[in-house]
Amino acid sequence: MKKPLRYAIIGSGAAGTEAACQLRLRDPESEITVITASKLQFISRYDLPRVFEGVDDWRELLVYPPEFYEDNRITVRRNTWVAGVNPRENKLNFRHKEEMSYDKLLVASGGGGYMPEALREFLPYMNPFSTFSNAARLRDSLGKKGKVLMLGSDMVGLDLARYLTSAGHDVTVYANELLFWPHEIKPEDTAPYVKALETMGIKVVFGRKPVAVEPVNSSSKAGKYTRRLVFEKGKAELANVVMPFYGLMPALDFMIGANVDIERGLLVNPELKTTNDRIWAAGDVCQIWSPEENRYSFYYGWNNVKEMGHLAAHNMTGDNREIKTAQTNELKITKKGELHSPYWEHD
Amino acid sequence: MTNIGAPVYLEEKLEEISRSGRLDYRSKSLPTWCPGCGYFSIVESVTAALNRLEIDPCETTVVSGIGCASRFPFFVNTYGVHSLHGRALPVATGIKVAKEDQTVIVVGGDGDAFAIGGAHIPHAARRNIDITYILFDNGIYGLTKGQASPTSVLGFKTGTSPFGNQDRPLNPLMMLLSHGASWVGQAYAGNPGHLSEMICQAIAHRGFSYLHVLSPCVTFDKTTKTYKNLGMMVRGLPDDHDQSDVMAAMHEAQKTEQPALGLFYTENRPTLGDGLNEISRRSQAGS
Amino acid sequence: MANRPQILTDMQVSFCGSAGDGTIAAGDIFKRAMAEAGYQIIAFDVYPPEIRGFGKCIARTRVTFDQVYSLKPQSDVLLSLDDSHAIPHVGEVRDYGAVIYEDRPMATVEEGEHMSGHLKPAQLPYGVSFRELSERATSGARFRNIVAVGFIAGLYGLPRDLFHRTIGRKFAGKPAEVTESNIAAFDLGYDDGAKTFQVDINGFGPPPKRKKSEKVLMMHGNSAVARGCLSAKIDTFFGYPITPATSIMEILAKEMPKRGGRLLQTEDEISAVAAIVGAGFTGSRSATSTSGPGLALMTEVMGLGSIAEVPCVIFVSQRGGPSTGMPTKTEQSDLNLAVRGVAGDAQRIVLAPTNVEGCFKCAGIAFEIAEKYQTPVIVLLDLYLSNRYEAVALPNKNPFKLDATKWAKKPGKGDAYQRYKLTPDFISPRAIPGQQGMQHTITGLEHNELGRPNDQPAMHEAMSHKRHEKLKTAINYPNLTTSKRFGDKGRVRVGVLSWGSTFGECLEAMITVRKQGITCSAMKVVMISPLPVDEISRFMDDCDVVLVPELNYEGQFASIVMGTLGRPVHRLNRVTGTPMAVNDIIEEIQILAADKPKRRKAAE
Ligand SMILES: Cc1cc2nc3c(=O)[nH]c(=O)nc-3n(C[C@H](O)[C@H](O)[C@H](O)COP(=O)(O)OP(=O)(O)OC[C@H]3O[C@@H](n4cnc5c(N)ncnc54)[C@H](O)[C@@H]3O)c2cc1C
Ligand SMILES: Cc1ncc(C[n+]2csc(CCOP(=O)(O)OP(=O)(O)O)c2C)c(N)n1
Ligand code: SF4
Repeated sequence: MKKPLRYAIIGSGAAGTEAACQLRLRDPESEITVITASKLQFISRYDLPRVFEGVDDWRELLVYPPEFYEDNRITVRRNTWVAGVNPRENKLNFRHKEEMSYDKLLVASGGGGYMPEALREFLPYMNPFSTFSNAARLRDSLGKKGKVLMLGSDMVGLDLARYLTSAGHDVTVYANELLFWPHEIKPEDTAPYVKALETMGIKVVFGRKPVAVEPVNSSSKAGKYTRRLVFEKGKAELANVVMPFYGLMPALDFMIGANVDIERGLLVNPELKTTNDRIWAAGDVCQIWSPEENRYSFYYGWNNVKEMGHLAAHNMTGDNREIKTAQTNELKITKKGELHSPYWEHD
Repeated sequence: MTNIGAPVYLEEKLEEISRSGRLDYRSKSLPTWCPGCGYFSIVESVTAALNRLEIDPCETTVVSGIGCASRFPFFVNTYGVHSLHGRALPVATGIKVAKEDQTVIVVGGDGDAFAIGGAHIPHAARRNIDITYILFDNGIYGLTKGQASPTSVLGFKTGTSPFGNQDRPLNPLMMLLSHGASWVGQAYAGNPGHLSEMICQAIAHRGFSYLHVLSPCVTFDKTTKTYKNLGMMVRGLPDDHDQSDVMAAMHEAQKTEQPALGLFYTENRPTLGDGLNEISRRSQAGS
Repeated sequence: MANRPQILTDMQVSFCGSAGDGTIAAGDIFKRAMAEAGYQIIAFDVYPPEIRGFGKCIARTRVTFDQVYSLKPQSDVLLSLDDSHAIPHVGEVRDYGAVIYEDRPMATVEEGEHMSGHLKPAQLPYGVSFRELSERATSGARFRNIVAVGFIAGLYGLPRDLFHRTIGRKFAGKPAEVTESNIAAFDLGYDDGAKTFQVDINGFGPPPKRKKSEKVLMMHGNSAVARGCLSAKIDTFFGYPITPATSIMEILAKEMPKRGGRLLQTEDEISAVAAIVGAGFTGSRSATSTSGPGLALMTEVMGLGSIAEVPCVIFVSQRGGPSTGMPTKTEQSDLNLAVRGVAGDAQRIVLAPTNVEGCFKCAGIAFEIAEKYQTPVIVLLDLYLSNRYEAVALPNKNPFKLDATKWAKKPGKGDAYQRYKLTPDFISPRAIPGQQGMQHTITGLEHNELGRPNDQPAMHEAMSHKRHEKLKTAINYPNLTTSKRFGDKGRVRVGVLSWGSTFGECLEAMITVRKQGITCSAMKVVMISPLPVDEISRFMDDCDVVLVPELNYEGQFASIVMGTLGRPVHRLNRVTGTPMAVNDIIEEIQILAADKPKRRKAAE
């Protein structure tokens, strides 16, 4: 009898989880291990704003119930960090000093929010938004009718902004060149989209450069506010929370030294294979060769990412399918005059 | 018999005994031993000693194990525990620890002491518990009708050693001296006057006193430790014997062919009760 | 949020690690702090049999608002200080329960040997840098266990100063740096826990309020026994060390001398029990403690105690047998020995408490009963009860009678005192050394009323009758609960008849099946000998079937019940060396309840 293949998947987001499901269908005997830094089983990031609709038990947000993983024999190693990949021995190194061997590896580690160097030291006073606990903390810090200041304002942030405003919070967006990222919109063309945002109740401010975020004592004259955002030239604004949305930075520190090609993301061909025969990549982490554009590109968003996970699983089990790289992901304005992005769509 | 003195009249003797007060220490039960058994002298000597020391019978408890010798408590008018084979010492330990002011006397045979009860002797001795152990050594199991005991001589034929005893007898005096008994003496049932004197001293000693009494079993030993043989063997301790010198005591104890009668060794050191009082004092000071 | 059930605190935490990790100490601080806060506590530690080395230790503590009776089959939190030991126990954590483990081990971990690879999909992982935090607090890794306690306290928002006090008390008497290091380590763990997002919704509610007339103390069964002895004003104790009874003696060794009592470590168990018979003879309240092997040695002397009619108390904590068996495992297999282990026709009194509070009560009342009925009394525990901790509410007033003796009057002139006088209540008035004019000799020989050896047929019959009938009257001793029924009243489908430490599990099982709609009641039998037959009989009248769960292979108590009452029972036996699993009892009740009463063969 053949020894069952060992598949390792780094990341339990949309890409990694979809790949795990497909791998199970295509190779029923195999051993499938998903490694994730997350504490919880797969929760769709897109579902996190439901926290503001009154969902406070994370169990309601699980995409699959725990039994699903048991039934499909998918081991999910949560709270586990990959520190490195050793391509010669086909082993992963974990931060807690354990090794794990694999036959085939899928890197689906997504991306973390990017943070400009100058603001990094103020991270402790800002609220990120990528996990359930981030979401719950945000909800607790805001209370009723809270005030949010968003920096950068990519599509991830704007997605959240629309939920926050409809939940009665006051959102101000401090726009810079990353407004509407990853949509590529020329500065001269932004006006209608900014208007759409204002229609949705989101304030947009241009030309302010944030230089610091500080905690303030809520009992002082700051009232209920606990944060101060300081701008160049000394102006400042008080709020409950300050959130950074400067686009995503692929999470692949651990791939340095793995002998695969990296530019901004992990470089893969349209079959999602890296330059290593046993390593594939999917989701926000990978940059795919696009023959149409003649360059490597990112393809964000739920639908794209899920498709990548699906396809990678097929190709890891013998197929040679290529991803559709010719895509139009246009930012739109609805009949009601509100903004809509295909990146916001998900099932 | 060289010594034909003045005639002894029974009435006078009885009158003298009853006036002495010794009978207050006797119970209504008469000893059940075989006529001629060396054990009769225990009752005589112990009652005489208690009488002499003026110890109230109700302040005295006599503890024994099981065996002919161990029947003793029934024949005296003190409190008594006729316990189990080999367990007289621990029972006595319990009594003394619980009731320090009782005079506690343990009586038993050599099987009771050195075979089944052997594990208790070292500990009673080293703790220096303030009791008196009177051990009647007849070199045989009497109650069970004649089997070898730990002090039976080599070659002795008994019910369980029909071809002669092959186990070397142990030396009780050496044992007690080495375990730290603070008073070790030896007496002979055939010399009741000396026996009674030794019992007096043993009871008066503060600490663990061990008195080894050579005592013939007239029924089951017709050949080895008979009155005749023992009478010829026993001797006194040398005049210059130093009773505080444990090495000298051991030296004398080695001479088993000619057992010496008298006080081999004595020392004064804190008793178990002293130790327990010290623990109490420390615990109360510390709390 | 609205439909979330209101959760009162019921939280079970298991600390697991190797002997060198301070696992038991961590569990100890946790349970002491929780008890001080006012929660109910049940805790049980499992140790390796080896003294040194790195055997597995587990300290389980259940913290509740309301009184509960056993540990839960599933813990809410498993804290691993050594993954190689804890990984096999990960299955005992409930769904959505937390598994806390070392995230930054010092050395390389072999593939597959880190906790993170073993959690069930519904369990929640909490990797914590115990080692790094300990090193930061104290420049050593030795305080990982305290960091771990701090982490749990912080995670669940428990009062920090409560733990500081507990730590202070635990290390009182040690140099001040020891306490300081421990508190520093605790605080770093606490801060880390406090900032960790708690994804489990099962938190700690406020602790219950307690009555003023009682003081609540957290203690294990053996320490409750020791306290019972002290409350009953024990005079003397003689003992020989043996697991799991030793701590009774160790506690008394410290406490008795302060109160004028005396304790002696004897050369063996025979000596210990012989000494308590000697002490008992003098009127001293005297006791010993031992386990199965020691009890086996004691049986001859206990027979002497029976026939010579001497009061004394023997505490027995059972462990796995036979012979040296499993010294650090629990079992209920010395029942036969305790009840019947004697030469000849002697009955004795055997009390088996079912919880820690019961240990206190039985210990104290054993002295009264021993005195009153002039006989040895065995109080039978087992390792699980001896070592398990509970928060016990002790009455402020001493509940025990300090003299229960029926004393003799000095006989008239010419009359002899009769130590074994035949009386209507079968109890002969007592006299003790020092009392004038009542000298007597007690004996292990059959005797007449005076105590003189006597083996005549009529005398042996009269004395045997006296000794047995005397004990039967002990069933009616006031203030002694010999048995008690819980759960449904009247007719029930299944009755659970239980004794000793297993009763807690039986009670939990009974409560569960009643919620499932099975009529059920559970009876604990505290007096195992003589057996309270009327009460048990009435209970059995009400039950379609009776189940007797116990931790021994053959069903020793079941046999005693069947033999004494001549009525069938079903046995449930486990010899895993661990407490009975509540689920095993539940399953058995469900099977019995589902069966048609007639189809099931009565006793197998
Ligand atoms: C609130 C929110 C809204 C969003 N909305 C939009 C949107 O509108 N449009 C859009 O384009 N995109 C949006 N995104 C981005 C979107 O998340 C991605 O396109 C997609 O979900 C990424 O999926 P993924 O599986 O590639 O990565 P992720 O979902 O990011 O998953 C990455 C996984 O890798 C794990 N991981 C990372 N590094 C390590 C490591 N070293 N060791 C172990 N595990 C590791 C992580 O724990 C995680 O489980 C949104 C994101 C957020 C936070
Ligand atoms: C446990 C036990 N084993 C054996 C016996 C039987 N037994 C009674 S007395 C005795 C020996 C007695 O010899 P010893 O102690 O020398 O006393 P003696 O009868 O010679 O005075 C024996 C073996 C017993 N009573 N108990
Ligand atoms: S059998 Fe021997 S020791 Fe026993 S009473 Fe008779 S003579 Fe004495």
